[in-house]
Amino acid sequence: MAAAEVGLAAERPTVLIVEDEVLIRLMVADELRTAGLHVLEASNADEAWTILESSLPVQLLFTDIHMRGRMSGFELARLVRERYPSLKVVITSSREPASGIGGVADAFIGKPYDLRAVVEQVQTLLTRSSNDDRKP
Amino acid sequence: MTTENHKSTAKADTVLVVEDEVLLRLVIADYLRDCGFRVIEAADADEAIVVLKQPQLAVDVVFSDIEMPGSMDGFGLAQWTRSNRPGVEVILTGSVPRAVNAAATLCESEGPVPKPYEPQTVHHRIRRLLAARSNNKKR
Repeated sequence: MAAAEVGLAAERPTVLIVEDEVLIRLMVADELRTAGLHVLEASNADEAWTILESSLPVQLLFTDIHMRGRMSGFELARLVRERYPSLKVVITSSREPASGIGGVADAFIGKPYDLRAVVEQVQTLLTRSSNDDRKP
Repeated sequence: MTTENHKSTAKADTVLVVEDEVLLRLVIADYLRDCGFRVIEAADADEAIVVLKQPQLAVDVVFSDIEMPGSMDGFGLAQWTRSNRPGVEVILTGSVPRAVNAAATLCESEGPVPKPYEPQTVHHRIRRLLAARSNNKKR
């Protein structure tokens, strides 16, 4: 069963949410879907990397920093920046990294979430991504 | 494959998809959303139980893989659901014949869904199960 068979390559922008707290993941995913976005969910960085390395198009990565598993969200963001530089990245945590987000992410969103602000930030970055794609 | 035919008849029933293989999970979850379901995704039984423990989250059907890492497999999740959320229907799926056969005792009358499955098969199974439940309530 190929992902493309079930219409995953939707015309809507796709956001990949990476969060190991299932209720938080569900809350953010629901909010972004309600805003009209196509949302993929990963419960850790390894799952996220599996999705990114598949043929599924993703325009924005929204990842928690502190997660169980082999890789933190920060390491995931750094890998993504190296391998997929055009992909927008938002990292989240209860506190901003002391070293800042540097060149690893396009934005940081603190927890607990203001869901309206999350949607606005994501849509702003997706618009910027779309405009970047149109540049000659 | 198209889901267009299903959209018009779909209701906002909620399916909790429990699958540790992320690409399988997102394919069936997306398909079921296209069919009109609200879908909640869980990567293992532990996440599923966190969801099922939330009284404000209505769940109509649990569609769970049998073999998963974590403190509990699909059998354990089915038993937990039967004990703690008796109104929630459970459909198990798996690729190991012995496990699939054993799952038949925990599933509804049609038995487990063998892997690999077609998303339509899962969709039709869920619809039949929900229709049967609705009919039973009316009696």
